[in-house]
Amino acid sequence: MNAIELQGIAKKYGRTRILKDLNLSVEAGTFTVVFGLPACGKSVLVRLLTGLEKPNAGRILLRGNEATGLDSGGRNIGYVPQSFALYPHFSAHDNISYPLDLIKFPKSQIEQAVKQIAEQLKIDHLLNKHPDQLSGGEKQRVALARGVVKQTDIYILDDPLVGLDFKLREQMFDDLKQMQQSLAATFLFTTSDPLEALALADSVAVLDGGRIVETGDLEALYRRPAHITTMALLGFPPSNQFGGQLFSRADQQWCRTGLFELPVNMAPSTDLPAEGSHVRVVVRPEDIRLNPDPDGLLTCQAQVVLLEDLGGEVIVYLEVNEEPLVTVVSHSDADFFSSDHVTVGVRASSAVLFNIETGLRIGQGAE
Amino acid sequence: MPEVRLVDLQKEYPGVIAVKNVSITFSTAAVTCLLGPSGCGKTTMMRIIAGLESPTAGDVFFDDHRITDLPARKRKIGMVFQYPVVYRSISVYRNIELPLLEEKLSTSERKQRIRQVIDILGLEDSVEKEISQLDSGTRQKVAIARTVARQPAVILFDEPITNVDAEAKVQLKRALKELTRQLQQTIIYVTHDQTEAMTLADQIALMKEGEIVQLDAPRKLYNRPDDVFGGWFLGNPGMNFFEHQVVALDGGLGLKSPLFPEPLKISGLNGQDRLTIGIRPEHVRLGHKSSNMAVKGRVQRKFIVVGGFYLVSIAMGDKIIKVKVDPALGGRIEDEIWVECPLDWITLFGPDGRRLKATLSV
Repeated sequence: MNAIELQGIAKKYGRTRILKDLNLSVEAGTFTVVFGLPACGKSVLVRLLTGLEKPNAGRILLRGNEATGLDSGGRNIGYVPQSFALYPHFSAHDNISYPLDLIKFPKSQIEQAVKQIAEQLKIDHLLNKHPDQLSGGEKQRVALARGVVKQTDIYILDDPLVGLDFKLREQMFDDLKQMQQSLAATFLFTTSDPLEALALADSVAVLDGGRIVETGDLEALYRRPAHITTMALLGFPPSNQFGGQLFSRADQQWCRTGLFELPVNMAPSTDLPAEGSHVRVVVRPEDIRLNPDPDGLLTCQAQVVLLEDLGGEVIVYLEVNEEPLVTVVSHSDADFFSSDHVTVGVRASSAVLFNIETGLRIGQGAE
Repeated sequence: MPEVRLVDLQKEYPGVIAVKNVSITFSTAAVTCLLGPSGCGKTTMMRIIAGLESPTAGDVFFDDHRITDLPARKRKIGMVFQYPVVYRSISVYRNIELPLLEEKLSTSERKQRIRQVIDILGLEDSVEKEISQLDSGTRQKVAIARTVARQPAVILFDEPITNVDAEAKVQLKRALKELTRQLQQTIIYVTHDQTEAMTLADQIALMKEGEIVQLDAPRKLYNRPDDVFGGWFLGNPGMNFFEHQVVALDGGLGLKSPLFPEPLKISGLNGQDRLTIGIRPEHVRLGHKSSNMAVKGRVQRKFIVVGGFYLVSIAMGDKIIKVKVDPALGGRIEDEIWVECPLDWITLFGPDGRRLKATLSV
């Protein structure tokens, strides 16, 4: 069953259309991440889901039931907002219990629910403190506890880890995942951070231009993205993109980029783009190899401009004819190239072609 | 260029000791990063070096000169802050030139210095632009150029990249790397970001709760942390830690662990009855075949991390170990897998969290 279903949702403010014909189905019991660039409309989507605002068009179904016209209180969903939004004059305890006080939950059960969630999030020692006595990470945990204290089956989390330092985020990944599993609830989580999406999602919906452009199982989307936004941005560092132009040579379609020329197979369903058409060519960082055995690879020379040391891996920033290129190598492989120049190798099949106008996948390099 | 020395430095505020009895030498012609989480005392220490705060106890030396009581303006220090200190309505060139007008320089010397920093920082295309036309990264470059052109004895950077847009960060790091390579100056660089520190530093002083936990070259600090804190703080994620009881084994000491097929011998202990094994996720080996040091584990979860690598959580007895593997292997990992923790990559810590000189063997 779908816990959440959005059909043809549109939302505009004045003349600015934020969401346009947005469709999304979220299967019950999944951790679903809505992923998109900052300011792509994620928070607006959340406001529509939580009932804080109403759409201009379209339907919202929760648990299979019509919910478009329902107020926030009638939707029975848990909500963790982006900013902590804690009441400064309440203790952590009273902040957490607030959603239960609102629905006049019995006092004894409130105490038990607060205690249980506080223990689970390891904040039971902070319950008597006020928000100004808490660190950023502690506040986020209190906000999270408040969002999930109301026992329900659908929780909306609006980019809750933004601004946390990465050590806290690391811990929160585990906490959030465990919490979703132990509640066996549907989590809809928005973020613009690809590493958060990758760490948390069972399935991902990519929001771009006011629409969900692609949705599905995380790993399937990562392996075979159908939309350029998915391939370019769902991953860190972001994928390499080049302009390309199609041409024919000896009955084979080819694509010319600033780096190399490669034979391509166009998807059978697409109208064959005309000779000379411009396309976008995208290659994931992990598919760029350095000083490889050149057999069967497209190669070119590149200048190393920066090695960014993550500890276990090194992000290698390169330039080829002033085009930036990025790849990641494990640290044990990074020691060997001390020179400023390297040979870059790419397997043609790892280059994916997208239509410039629609952003849809239209082909792939041929071996 | 002086070497900067802090001797028994202490800074107390009501109810809190921000810097606890720190002694450290910042070498000349090197970049030393003060790295640690927020509240660890790194910024306080920098402010004391700059003369913006006085220590409660202890001294600051530039070479052999005690400058603890010298006012900030007499210390010949240049500082770059989180937010760029620049004049918005004048050109980049004028911004760099203004502080130099206060120095007694010939026109040609002044022009030569401006040209030099513009070259190193890659500001050629922006020289005539006003600050308001620049992105956040370029603005910060201008702030750096202003500081560097004065040729101060010591340059202090206080999280200069933190507020720069993501795309501009790489350009700024590249410029900083080039700058520090060419300047060969005493540079002290405060950051909470381990990647920045690992990328830019010759030496990292890792700080925790007002103390320096370790001062070392980045790779040494990463591979051989002196303290559990260094193992945890560096790396994403940090080290796996497993606590073990020391037991009697074959007339000596040893430990039994679900990470290894057989009990292991320990030598070099100094009376400890418990210890912690630390190993980084990328140093654990996974395979589909058994080996004499491997134990079978059950895959709990896996997901993609930086560069398509996989982070795999594997249950081994009652322990969970996190392992980072390359994209090709990560994609193929299923329910069960052989896990090997190479002894060379294991660091042992005592109950106080400090690294032990003890070693494990079969």
